[in-house]
Amino acid sequence: MSLADNSPITFSYREELTHEEHHVPMILSAIENLAFSSHPTGEYVVTAFAALSISNGGQPIGDYTAQTRISRPYGEYSQPTHKELDDAARAAVRREIDRKLDAETTRLAASLGETE
Amino acid sequence: MKSHLAIVAAAGLALVTAGCAAQGKPFEPVNAPLNHAIIYVYRPYSYNSSLLHPAVQCGSESVHIRPGAYHAFVVPAGRVTCRVEGETADEVDIDAEPRIYYLQERFAFGVLSGHPQLNPMDSDEAQTEIQSCVQQP
Repeated sequence: MSLADNSPITFSYREELTHEEHHVPMILSAIENLAFSSHPTGEYVVTAFAALSISNGGQPIGDYTAQTRISRPYGEYSQPTHKELDDAARAAVRREIDRKLDAETTRLAASLGETE
Repeated sequence: MKSHLAIVAAAGLALVTAGCAAQGKPFEPVNAPLNHAIIYVYRPYSYNSSLLHPAVQCGSESVHIRPGAYHAFVVPAGRVTCRVEGETADEVDIDAEPRIYYLQERFAFGVLSGHPQLNPMDSDEAQTEIQSCVQQP
């Protein structure tokens, strides 16, 4: 996508989420719940990967990738939703891309200025 | 006498466990219209929480899935939220493209009742697991 139909500057952004779940076996969960009721009985893990490419007239001028991993335990008394973890992972990976982009602002502006 | 008791106990256990599993047609892939996604929600058989069948909602459709059953939600491409609620709730947002997605429903221990979970699954693992599930009548 680009900021305007006739703009030579284009942005390509891709985001991927990967999910993992770790569950304590049921028989162990039952014993643990009797013994330590606040003990986690499993964990959700979400890995977010993002890639941003910026081109000027087809010429790449910036390429950024970031990856974050968010994990939350669940137990007898509480359980996060997958949506909460997905949202947190997305926010974290976008912050990381923003941080990398911010650090490159001067170089990107100069690179665009050279072509004008 | 002991052997009679064992037979009765085994028969009782078989009746109880068989009574919990869903009965229905074996897995059959469904077709979706153009620009629609298919979300298979399946629940591998487990005796744990087998008496719980909370409603699983994807988009505007809602289905109670029994242990050992699955349901295919056919939804228009775009953002879809799948949700299940019991003692706790779980929710998954899917940016659905016209392809197939799999969610596995399972239950973790809760205080008074099981906690339902909707776990996004890889196709290769899910395709194997769903073969042992029947269509939710």
